Amino acid sequence: MKNLDFSIVIPYLQLFIRGSLVAIEITALAVLMGVIIGTFVGMGKMSKVFIIRAICTVYVEVIRGTPLLVQLLIFYFGLPQIIGYSLSEFPAAVIALGINSGGYVAEIVRGGILAVDKGQMEAARSLGMSYVQAMRYIILPQAFKKMIPPLGNEFITLLKNSSLATTIGFPELTRAAQVVAGNTYRPFEPYITAALFYLIMTLSFTQILGVVERRLAKSD
Amino acid sequence: MIEIRDVHKYFGKLEVLKGITNTINRGEVVVIIGPSGSGKSTLLRCLNMLEEPTKGEILIDGKPLNHKSVDINKVRQEVGMVFQHFNLFPHKKVIENITLAPIKVKKENPEEAREKALKLLERVGLKDKAECYPASLSGGQKQRVAIARALAMSPKIMLFDEPTSALDPEMIKEVLDVMKDLAQDGMTMVVVTHEMAFAREVGDRVIFMDEGVIVEEGTPEEIFENPKNQRTKEFLSKIL
Repeated sequence: MKNLDFSIVIPYLQLFIRGSLVAIEITALAVLMGVIIGTFVGMGKMSKVFIIRAICTVYVEVIRGTPLLVQLLIFYFGLPQIIGYSLSEFPAAVIALGINSGGYVAEIVRGGILAVDKGQMEAARSLGMSYVQAMRYIILPQAFKKMIPPLGNEFITLLKNSSLATTIGFPELTRAAQVVAGNTYRPFEPYITAALFYLIMTLSFTQILGVVERRLAKSD
Repeated sequence: MIEIRDVHKYFGKLEVLKGITNTINRGEVVVIIGPSGSGKSTLLRCLNMLEEPTKGEILIDGKPLNHKSVDINKVRQEVGMVFQHFNLFPHKKVIENITLAPIKVKKENPEEAREKALKLLERVGLKDKAECYPASLSGGQKQRVAIARALAMSPKIMLFDEPTSALDPEMIKEVLDVMKDLAQDGMTMVVVTHEMAFAREVGDRVIFMDEGVIVEEGTPEEIFENPKNQRTKEFLSKIL
């Protein structure tokens, strides 16, 4: 313990802060993408059309059944070999994380929709609304409310998973710790610092989420 | 106005409706009674295709509902439905519950839809609740809003699926009064209910169903005073 010296990270604080901001940026964009993909895939899994249901089910199973790290490596290193064009690190990370998130969000969306009382769809349809109108005005707004807690968890998971972008050399928070460890020959302090930054982000997000949930609960 | 022709409905292997044939005329108030599981709600739900008949057809104004050429969303605009559990939209204010379908489906002008909705709320005695959320209403109030919501589409027919079964006893009357008022206005109504006093007073015709068939039908006097079928007699003796 006597050789611990956290002052060595102070000159690099800027690096950690920038890494955190980038991690949030990647995560936010990926979650946004995940929600869009997940909404369609989640509804697709409940489609009456077999082929749509099949495609969406396969998507979810493949995403959930393979490691995110492998998916990321396929996107960044594997795909250029096939399409002859390479993505830079940032879009590659966002797209890989977003597509991954879509698979998980799809299940959250499906759960949210199923949790809305069946009578809501019947009431909407009995008023002459089409299936799409009923979904848009009646079912999805209620489903999204039920989806907020699990989506919050998804955000936190993704924020932590964004550290995997280090493997494709993207300068986010974990990468910052690696750089500092390399420069100072002291790995313990920078990695602990990175962990602290992640913890601060996830804890603050949990707090914000709690406020949002309480707000929403009020209108019930 | 509504023609039901040999309608059969299966849920899996269970035959819930076993060949129902009937005609409901314009302006008529038809009350369907019967024990639970007799298929009365299923029949009602077939009338706006919330359940699709397995066999047979239903025609409204001569148009077969389960035909590909018929736009079911168009038909449903003319057939209002009131549910046992109200099914108000909890995330919308009372006024929005009523104006949503007219605005989105019929493309009515929002201002006019609002005016009309307020009139309907006045009619059901709830004008002061326009800006409330459904959660703050009592059961009877919710059901009256649900009736106003259905009426906002200016339907030709109103279907009622046990509209008072989920209500506390002291709230039943306020809902039945609204329905009575509608009937007196000449609305064509099909009502599934356990309220025999209502059937007797408001119904033009009473249909008794059991085990997926129409056992007996007639005027309220005929059914209640002088039932012919043994099963009708047994059912009435249990509930009256």
